[in-house]
Amino acid sequence: MESNDLLETKGSVPSHVRLYIAVLLIVIITELIGIHKFPVGPGTVVLLPMLYAVIIGILITPQVLGKSISVLQKLISRDEVDLAGAIVMISLLPLGVKYGTLVGPAVEKIVKAGPAFILQELGNLGTILVALPIALLLGLKREAVGASVSICREPTLGVIGERYGISSDEGTGTLGTYMTGTVLGTIFFGILGGISVATGLHPYALAMACGIGSASMMTASSASLATAVPAMKDTILAYAATSNLLTGVTGIYSVIFLAIPLTNFLYRKFQPIIQGKKEVE
Amino acid sequence: MEVTGRMIWNQFKVLLLCVIITLIGQRIGYGISISEAIPGMIIVLIICMAALIIKDYTPQLKFPAFAWASLIALILTMPFVPTSKFLLGYTKHVSFLGTTTPILAFAGISIGMKVAKIKELSWRLVLVAFCVFVGTFFGSAIIAQIVLKIQGII
Repeated sequence: MESNDLLETKGSVPSHVRLYIAVLLIVIITELIGIHKFPVGPGTVVLLPMLYAVIIGILITPQVLGKSISVLQKLISRDEVDLAGAIVMISLLPLGVKYGTLVGPAVEKIVKAGPAFILQELGNLGTILVALPIALLLGLKREAVGASVSICREPTLGVIGERYGISSDEGTGTLGTYMTGTVLGTIFFGILGGISVATGLHPYALAMACGIGSASMMTASSASLATAVPAMKDTILAYAATSNLLTGVTGIYSVIFLAIPLTNFLYRKFQPIIQGKKEVE
Repeated sequence: MEVTGRMIWNQFKVLLLCVIITLIGQRIGYGISISEAIPGMIIVLIICMAALIIKDYTPQLKFPAFAWASLIALILTMPFVPTSKFLLGYTKHVSFLGTTTPILAFAGISIGMKVAKIKELSWRLVLVAFCVFVGTFFGSAIIAQIVLKIQGII
């Protein structure tokens, strides 16, 4: 059914009411639990309410806890699950607005940033070249497209969620990379920033690379890079922050106009070669 | 697909309820007063509706409503635009993390039917995410290295 038809409340008010009550309860519970952080090595494991929310959301569906607790099925049945899929796309929009207000004030910096900063944004497409073949080798199908299209921060979640649906195979892939980044991202980049010096690439170039479109991951990677090359600390932190702002502004357009078409193109080329059998989109 | 007033009304109801849930959530999680946050949320709601309507009327552009929402907010908050100060003053009471919690609750429920598949893919998705991190980092670093070298900066 078309998602706009699912949103029709006429005749399905009880279903809408049940779903919103369930989500409200989840939000209240998860916000009460709050943010928990555990320092690990150079980074931090971050547990946010959104993580508990996705887990509780999955748990209360008919095929999970609903299977054994029949009362739960009265609250969340197949109808509410389908409705939730349609609502996700719209519920993402306030996040899009908030994101826009965070990057809007940074627009001036793009004009002043210079060619290296702008061109290295294209390097974010490197994720597709590295991750897509590996995802296919691991046996992922269309999930591979969603997972490797970009670093999958909020803009990608919004765009993929709207184009394919969060519960689609592509959406599952994006959600996987998004959640992994949210929980483990700062640890991974905290380690990567420091050891990246060993590649022989110039610390300034590495500093720009730290700006991947997430403030916390940028902070972790640039701080650890600056610790490795203390003489260049100030420039490293400034380059990383500027690059991160640029990714924040340009990332969403890069995903829509470059990354999604490129990932789909490469999927069509690589999928039959790596997995042998052609998979229909 | 034909755009109808009914469809826009239904979308508005969803947004309104999401915004109310966010107001409650960010009060609990981040201590943001509900009454203080209401004007900011109304602005967010208006921009979201504008984004949805633009998208509904321009299906041939393939530009998602999410991107319209983000673009409108970006343009209105650029430093040299007169609306910037006014908007930022109100939207600062809208928590970024607070807006993510209801989304992920809906998302969790919507993927519940696929739980067997997600279980099967779990560690693979984490591994792919790590490859994504490495790819984006070194992709950018290599291009930056080349351009900075050409410019003679390094």
